[in-house]
Amino acid sequence: MNHLTATSATDSAYLIDELAPALERGPQWLREKRQGSRQVFNSLPLPHRGLHLWRYTDPEKFLIRHGRVIDTPFADDYDAVKKIALSHLKQGHLSGLVADLGGREIKIHGDEELAERGIVVSTLSEAVDRHQELVEKHLYQLVNSRTGKFEAMNGALFNDGIFIYVPDNVTVEKPLHLLRESGRENSAHFPRLLVVAGKNAELTVIDEYGGGSADIDRGVSNTNSAVEIFGLEESRVRYVSLQRQMAAAHSYLMHRARIERGATMLTIPLAFGALTSKHNFGVILNGDGAESKMYGLLFGSEDQHFDNHTLHYHAASRTVSNIDFKVVLRDRALSAYTGLIRIDRESKTCEAYQGNRNLLLNKGTRAETIPELEILNEDVKCSHGATIGPIDPLSVFYLTSRGIDRDDAVRMIVSGFVASTLKQIPEDLQERISNFVAKRLENI
Amino acid sequence: MADSAKQKHEKLASLNADYAAKYGFHDPVDYFHKGAKGINHEVVEMISRMKKEPKWMSERRHEALDIFFSKPIPLWGNTQLLNEIDFANIYYFMKPVEEQSTDWADVPEYIKKTFDRLGIPEAEKRFLGGLSAQYESEVVYHSMREDLKKQGVIFLDMDSGLREQEEIVSKYFGTVVPSTDNKFAALNTAVWSGGSFIYVPPGLDVKVPLQAYFRINAENMGQFERTLIIADKGSRVHYIEGCTAPIYSTNSLHSAVVEVIALEDAYIRYTTIQNWARNIFNLVTKRASAYRNATVEWVDGNIGSRLSMKYPCIQLLGEGAKAEILSVAFAGIDQHQDAGAKVIHAASSTSSRITSKSISKDNGRASYRGLVKIYKNAVNCKVSVECDALLIGEEARSDTYPTMEIDNDQVKVEHEARVSKVAEEQLFYLTSRGLSEDEARLLIVNGFMEPFTKELPMEYAVELNRLIELEMEGSIG
Repeated sequence: MNHLTATSATDSAYLIDELAPALERGPQWLREKRQGSRQVFNSLPLPHRGLHLWRYTDPEKFLIRHGRVIDTPFADDYDAVKKIALSHLKQGHLSGLVADLGGREIKIHGDEELAERGIVVSTLSEAVDRHQELVEKHLYQLVNSRTGKFEAMNGALFNDGIFIYVPDNVTVEKPLHLLRESGRENSAHFPRLLVVAGKNAELTVIDEYGGGSADIDRGVSNTNSAVEIFGLEESRVRYVSLQRQMAAAHSYLMHRARIERGATMLTIPLAFGALTSKHNFGVILNGDGAESKMYGLLFGSEDQHFDNHTLHYHAASRTVSNIDFKVVLRDRALSAYTGLIRIDRESKTCEAYQGNRNLLLNKGTRAETIPELEILNEDVKCSHGATIGPIDPLSVFYLTSRGIDRDDAVRMIVSGFVASTLKQIPEDLQERISNFVAKRLENI
Repeated sequence: MADSAKQKHEKLASLNADYAAKYGFHDPVDYFHKGAKGINHEVVEMISRMKKEPKWMSERRHEALDIFFSKPIPLWGNTQLLNEIDFANIYYFMKPVEEQSTDWADVPEYIKKTFDRLGIPEAEKRFLGGLSAQYESEVVYHSMREDLKKQGVIFLDMDSGLREQEEIVSKYFGTVVPSTDNKFAALNTAVWSGGSFIYVPPGLDVKVPLQAYFRINAENMGQFERTLIIADKGSRVHYIEGCTAPIYSTNSLHSAVVEVIALEDAYIRYTTIQNWARNIFNLVTKRASAYRNATVEWVDGNIGSRLSMKYPCIQLLGEGAKAEILSVAFAGIDQHQDAGAKVIHAASSTSSRITSKSISKDNGRASYRGLVKIYKNAVNCKVSVECDALLIGEEARSDTYPTMEIDNDQVKVEHEARVSKVAEEQLFYLTSRGLSEDEARLLIVNGFMEPFTKELPMEYAVELNRLIELEMEGSIG
C-alpha cells in the first residue's frame, strides 16, 4: 500500500496537506469526509490551554512535527506478542486476531470461521466496498472533525482501519483481539476502529496498542487513534483498551460508543505505556434503560504522563452508568483525570456513579482529579467520589509485623487495590495485566 | 407549554414582587458626584484625584487598568453571560454624599431611610461591634463601639484606612490578590472605592462581629469595593457582610476584591450573605492567607444576583494552618450561582475542609467549582471536600467541577459529591404525618441547609430561613 513519506516539516498544516491527498481514495462520500476533515484540521487552532481538558497536557505533543509517517520498522517485541495472541487463537481462547501494522498492513486471522455466522471482521477499506451501507451509516458518526482538531487529523490521515460487525442475535463467545503496532521514532500512526453490534448481539473486543518510539533521544512517535462503537438495542459489548506503547511514544485516543435501548456496555481502559498519553473514553446512553460501566486502571512510572477523560452522557431515561477509575503512580509519574457525567433535561430517573482513586507510591508523583457533574433535571441519583493518598502506613505496619518484608507488603497492597478491576478483564488478558502491574512494582 | 410559561412568569412576578417590597426600592438621588459611563485612564485619574490618594496608589490603579484591558474575558464559567457585560455602559464611580458620617443622625434622610428599611441600624444596636454602610461607591456611615476602639481595633472604610493607616495598607494591599490575578481583580484595583479595612492587634479577641452592608442604588452602577482584613498574631475576629440592590431592567456589576490575612495563631471568620437583585453580575475575588497555626473560615451564602462567580480561597502558608469553607448557593429562576472554594496547601501539616450545599430550583443553575492544590513540599496535609446538591423542578441544573492537584504522596485527600432531588420517601413520610407537601418540602430543604444556617449568627439564620421560605413558595408545580 501507500508508503507515505514527508520531508521534515515544522508547519503541521503544510504536512497534513502533503499527506492527505494520497489517502483520498475510495467512494465519493469517503473522499469528501477526508477532505472535510483536512480542512477543519487546517482551520482549527490548537485547543486552548485555558480549557480544563487541556490544562495538564500540551496539545503540541500530538502534532506531527517530524519526518516520516507510517513507514518505519516495528518494535522488537511485536512478533513475540503476536505469537502469544496466535497461540491463544489456536487454543480457542480468542474468536479472531487482527494484526494492524501501522494501518499499512492489516492481517486478519479467524475471520473465515466468523464469516460463516455472518460476523464481519475486515479492513475498513474492504468494508467500504462490501458493506458500504453499514460503513457509510456509521463511520465518522461519533468521532469526526466536529469533535476536535486531533479527531479531524485522524479523519483525514487514517490509512486503513478495522471494521467489525456482529449481526442481530449473534453472540461472539470469545474475544476478538486487535494488535495495533505503531512505528518507531519519528513515525505517526492513525488507527481507526468501527464496531457495530446488532440487536441482541454480544461481543468482546480487546484493542491493544503497542510499539512506538523507545528512545527519546532519537525522537518520539505519534499515535492518534479513533474508536467508534455502536451497540444496538439489547446488545452486550465489552471493549478493553490496552495501551502498552514504548517509553518515548505519544498516544492520543478518542473513543466514543453509543448504546441504544436496553443495551449494556463495559469499557475497560488500561494504560501502562507511552511517555505522554491523552485518552478520552465516552459512552452515550442513547436508549431507555441502557447501562454502561467503565473500569479503568493505569499504572505510571518514571516520567510518564497520563491524561484521561471519561464521559457518560445520559441522553435517555432510566439509564445507568458507573465508573471506577484507578490510578497507581510511582517515581515522577503524573496522572490527570477528568470525568464528566452529563444528564440531559429529558432523561428521567437516571443513576450515575463515578469514582476515581489514586494511590501514590512515593514523593514526586502527581495526581490531578476533576470529576464533573452536569445534571439538568431533578429526577436523578448521582454521586462521585475521589481519593488521593499514599499506601496506608498502618496496613504496611500490620503486614511487616507479620514477618512480610516492606517491599512485599507494598506489592500485596497494590495488588489488592487493582484486584477488583482485574476481575473485570477477560481471562486470557488477566495474567498479562497482572504481569504489567508486577513489573512496575519491581525495585520499589 | 404556554401554560407553564405563564405559570413561570407568574411565579417570577411573585418572587420579584417580594424582593421589590423588601429591597427593591430605589432612591431618586442627587449625587454629589456622578462621573460619565465607561472606563479609561481619565476615569481612574478622576477617582484617584477625588480621593486625594498617595501617588503609589494612583500608579497602582493605572497599572491595573492596563492589565484589565490586556486580559480576555474568562473562557470558563458562564461565558455567555460574561460576554453580555458591556463595560462601556457602566458607571464606575458614584459619590452620593460629600462627607462620611459617624453619627446616624447626620446621614442624609433618603439613605438613612434605605438602611432603616433594610434593618441595618437595628442590627448594629443589637449585636454588632461595628458597622460600615456603603452606598454606591462610598461608605456613607461608619461607627464602632468605643471599647473596641480603645483596645486598638481598627475598623474603617477602606478610603479612610488608606488615609489614616497608610503604612499597614501599603504593606498588605494587593499582596493576597494581585492585579494580575484575573480581569475583574484588575478592574477592581483600577477603580476600587469603599470597602472595609480592619486591623486587630496581637492577642485581642473581638467577641462581637463587625459588619459591613453594601447597597447599590443606581442603574448601570458598578460597585467595586475593596476590603482588607488583618488579624495580628493570636487575635480573633468575625466579619459579616450583606448586600442588596434595586431591580432594574439593565444589569449592574459588583466586582469586589477581598484580602484577608491571618497572621500566626490568628482566627478570622468571614461571613457573607449575598442577596443581590436578580440583575446584578456578582464577580468577586476573595482570598485569605493563613500563617502558622492560623485558622480562616469563609461562610459564604449566595442567594441573589443574576450570575455569581465567587470562589473564596484560602492559602495555607504556615505549618498547622487550617481552612474551612462552607458555601451555600440557592439558584432560582434565571439565576446561575457559579460558586465554590479554593484551598492552596503551601505548608506542611495543614488541613482543609470544604462543604458545599446547593439548591437549584425552577430553571436555576448552581455550579460548584473548586480547586484544592497541594504543593510538593507540603506533607501530612488533610483535605476533605463534600458537595451536596438538591434539585427542585424539572428544568433545574446542577454542575460539579472540583479540581484536585496533588503534588506529593504524604497527604490524605477525599472528595465526595451527591446530586439528588427531594426524596419521595421523605416527602411521603412527612405528608403522612399531616404536613402539606409545601411544608414538607420546606422542612427538607431547611434540614439540607442546616449545616450552613447553624454557623450563622442567629439574626442571619432567621433571615436566611425566611429567604428560603420565600424562594420555596409554590414549589409544587
